[in-house]
Amino acid sequence: MKLDIRGEEEIAATQAELWDALNDPEVLTKCIPGCRSMTELDPDHYKVEMQLKVAAVGGSFEGEIALKDKEPPTTCRITVSGAGSLGTGTGEAQFTLVPKDEATTTLQYAGEGEVGGLVAGVGQRILGSVSKHLIKQFFTALRKHFAEKTETAGA
Amino acid sequence: MTEQLRPGRFVSANRRVREDRRFVAGKGRFVADLDIPGVAHVALVASQHPAAFIEEIDASEALAMPGVVGVLTGDELAASTDPLMNGLDTPHVRRFPLAVGQVRYAGEWVCAVVAESRALAEDAAEKVRVRYTKLGFVLDAEKALQTDSTPVHPAHGSNVLLDKTFVWGEVERDFEKAEEHLSFRVTWGRNSTVPIETFGVVAKWDPWEQVLDVWASIQMPKYSDQIARALRIPGNAVRVHYDVDVGGSYGVKRGIKHSVLVAYLARKFGRPIRLIEDRIENMRAGDAHGPERIFDVDVAFDRDGRVRSMKMRALDNAGAYAGRAPFQLGKPIGAIVGPYLIESVQYHAVSVTTNKTVEEAVRGFGQSPTNYAIETMMDRVAAHLGIDRIEIRRRNFIRHEQFPYTIPSGSTYDSGDYHVVVDKVLEAVDLPALEAERDRLRAEGLCAGIGVAACLEPSGGNSSFEPLLNEKNRTSTWMESCRVNVDGLGFVTATVHTTSSGQGHETLVSTVVGEVLEIDPDKIRVVRPDSLGSLPGNSPVGSRMAIMLGGAAAKAAEDLKGQIMRIAAHALKVSEASLVYREGTIEGPDGLKLQWSDIVDIAHRRFHDLPPGVAPGLTATHILQVPTGRELPKEGRAQMYPCHSFEFHVVLVAFDPVLAKPEIRRYVIGHDCGTVINPHIVKGMTLGGIAHGIGAALLEEFAYDEGGQLMTQSFLDYLMPSSHEVPAVEIVKHVTPSPYTVFGQKGSGESGYLGAPAAISGAMHDAVRAWGITFDKLPIRMSTVSDKIAAAREHDRKTA
Repeated sequence: MKLDIRGEEEIAATQAELWDALNDPEVLTKCIPGCRSMTELDPDHYKVEMQLKVAAVGGSFEGEIALKDKEPPTTCRITVSGAGSLGTGTGEAQFTLVPKDEATTTLQYAGEGEVGGLVAGVGQRILGSVSKHLIKQFFTALRKHFAEKTETAGA
Repeated sequence: MTEQLRPGRFVSANRRVREDRRFVAGKGRFVADLDIPGVAHVALVASQHPAAFIEEIDASEALAMPGVVGVLTGDELAASTDPLMNGLDTPHVRRFPLAVGQVRYAGEWVCAVVAESRALAEDAAEKVRVRYTKLGFVLDAEKALQTDSTPVHPAHGSNVLLDKTFVWGEVERDFEKAEEHLSFRVTWGRNSTVPIETFGVVAKWDPWEQVLDVWASIQMPKYSDQIARALRIPGNAVRVHYDVDVGGSYGVKRGIKHSVLVAYLARKFGRPIRLIEDRIENMRAGDAHGPERIFDVDVAFDRDGRVRSMKMRALDNAGAYAGRAPFQLGKPIGAIVGPYLIESVQYHAVSVTTNKTVEEAVRGFGQSPTNYAIETMMDRVAAHLGIDRIEIRRRNFIRHEQFPYTIPSGSTYDSGDYHVVVDKVLEAVDLPALEAERDRLRAEGLCAGIGVAACLEPSGGNSSFEPLLNEKNRTSTWMESCRVNVDGLGFVTATVHTTSSGQGHETLVSTVVGEVLEIDPDKIRVVRPDSLGSLPGNSPVGSRMAIMLGGAAAKAAEDLKGQIMRIAAHALKVSEASLVYREGTIEGPDGLKLQWSDIVDIAHRRFHDLPPGVAPGLTATHILQVPTGRELPKEGRAQMYPCHSFEFHVVLVAFDPVLAKPEIRRYVIGHDCGTVINPHIVKGMTLGGIAHGIGAALLEEFAYDEGGQLMTQSFLDYLMPSSHEVPAVEIVKHVTPSPYTVFGQKGSGESGYLGAPAAISGAMHDAVRAWGITFDKLPIRMSTVSDKIAAAREHDRKTA
């Protein structure tokens, strides 16, 4: 089944800081829900291991993330593909970073995902809300990352 | 015609169903109850794509896990076994228990992981890495039919498994002569029987005995033959234990791929292997979905309501592999005109492969969808002409005095009294009162409708559709057998040579043998020898056991009684004709008398007192050929099943026009299945069948998303009728004996289900008649009803 993913979030970071964070595997590992590891295969091409639970189905995912068509520090395209006991997923989204003021940047994202396997059949009725929840978790973690950074810097 | 025994003290009597006691007490013995020492367990790695090449399977991580016994791939299995049986002549549609090289539906089994427990096997299955290259796929039957569609089996060349047109009678002439025509399309959604007990099997190979023991939750004709063939081992190396209770089936417990897989694993690993499907495995990969069928019907009729001719195209979506399921287009040929006088028929049967779960036999073997199409036709003709729906059926019914009646497709209906059954039902219903109730509900602002359906249940399961649809198939028998034995102490034991999935064979056989031998059925033991000790048989499919097993048991008991009479005549030195058999005692002229114990003593111990030529012991075997099963089909015409039960449904449905949740307010069925052997069994079948039909009409569907993923693979999404949806049902009984069976019995294993979907659909249509709405697909979903009513109201508002 297909999932439409779009939205925008304000992050307390400059455009350059946000760009760097989104290109840093360490930060992404911390922020992507369920992400256990992220290994660079080639530049801008990573192998990821994830542990996720959707409805009654839980399991591990292995996948790849690639960043393409980069135009630092404003936009890039991210493709994700994964497979695991839960099912399969592929997705592609465009990120755009728009400076809002000196310390804030708006992250706009729009894309489409496709989910197959067990998770599609069993989790269909909640998949939309689960994906929204996972995105929210991602941004919560990202905000936390910048908050911690500021604290560290301030200390 | 067979010489008929008169029903007497046990047949048709209000006697308990013997099997019920152990089931009610929770003491059934199901496959999962078996405790087999040393057993290992299987979990499956399932395909996540509807179609893909399997590029690589990496099981190294799984194999390294503690408790893992081994992993099997399709390549290894295909190299060592033969493909599973194909009904049609489609040699390039090859099917193995695991996908070989390519997956063809989401959920298809790719690898089997064997471990010390099911939990360990499941954990290890998660660690098997399969690399796929996705392929194009097709889900829709119409699309699959197109020549440029992606073939599910490239080697087969197209998706068409079967494309056969039959013309019986002067169809074109009748169409030309008829005063009116109309056409419509209806679709029967993909549903099934979904038993509470999923499929399960345990297999054990004994290398010293060279025998494979199999215990399975099975309802499958020629089951042990199919296992032996696939494994390339002798037929007498497979021992199926028939004394396993089966927790529901109604056709779908065919488990052949599971059984061959488990049998192979048992031989490979040298230990007993058990596979019990979980619910998701059962629903998406148990290969047990029912027919999904599009009907295009053209009907020619006169203004008096008489239907002259019918053209029907039935397009069936068989799923990813062929199996036996496409024959479900063939069986309804034996009742293609329903209970009606229709002089000519054109029938175009098409079966296609798609990237959906494999279709299997379901209750009625295609008859319920066909009955739904025929009954929709009658309703549409009635509406077109403005004739009452019951009246139009009466005008077209075959009349009682016309039986035995041969329909255009070559099948002879044995007997029937349709007008009388309808009269009895209408009297029980009090139709004017029911109509008044409907109108009262309407006045309250509800949608309310009455539906009717009249249909047949062909029974006595022969397999004539095999040679009819596949000319290489020469099957003209579908026998069933029974042995009745009197032991040295005088006790009677009878045999059943297949499993029971709730049909009550033990009650059937003991009742019938008790009837013939005039002894208390409760004193007769009924056993199920394993397949190596069994007589030939074909399992309880095709609504056949009352006719076939009941017939074989009665004939064996009669044979035994004949032996007893010969022994007695010889012992008493009188003619057999002068003797009377009375409850096991033989009475002759002048007060001569032999007790049962005397006969047993002579037969078992006193060879010198036996008549010349009579073998010692008291035992009789009967292998019954299907009544009317005499020859192969000729020129596209076949005698399908021997007996034809009749049912007439009247149902009142009501629902709120916005919520559209249908509530069945009244359900009455008239049922004529000839002589009833056990009324409780027939009643149970009918009530269960109606519940099943409510599911097909309103709730149950295996729905796929556009990506080929099954969306309804648990009971959260696949809706089964529960006590909330199933109403109290009133059954009106009528008995028109069949002239072809020992007691006049006909089948009832599919009763209720064969007409309920049509009747409920009719009621739903009646409920929205004011807006002229039609529902062209089953199940009729609440959302569809609500949307259509809303659209009609919107339209009314605009045009007002």
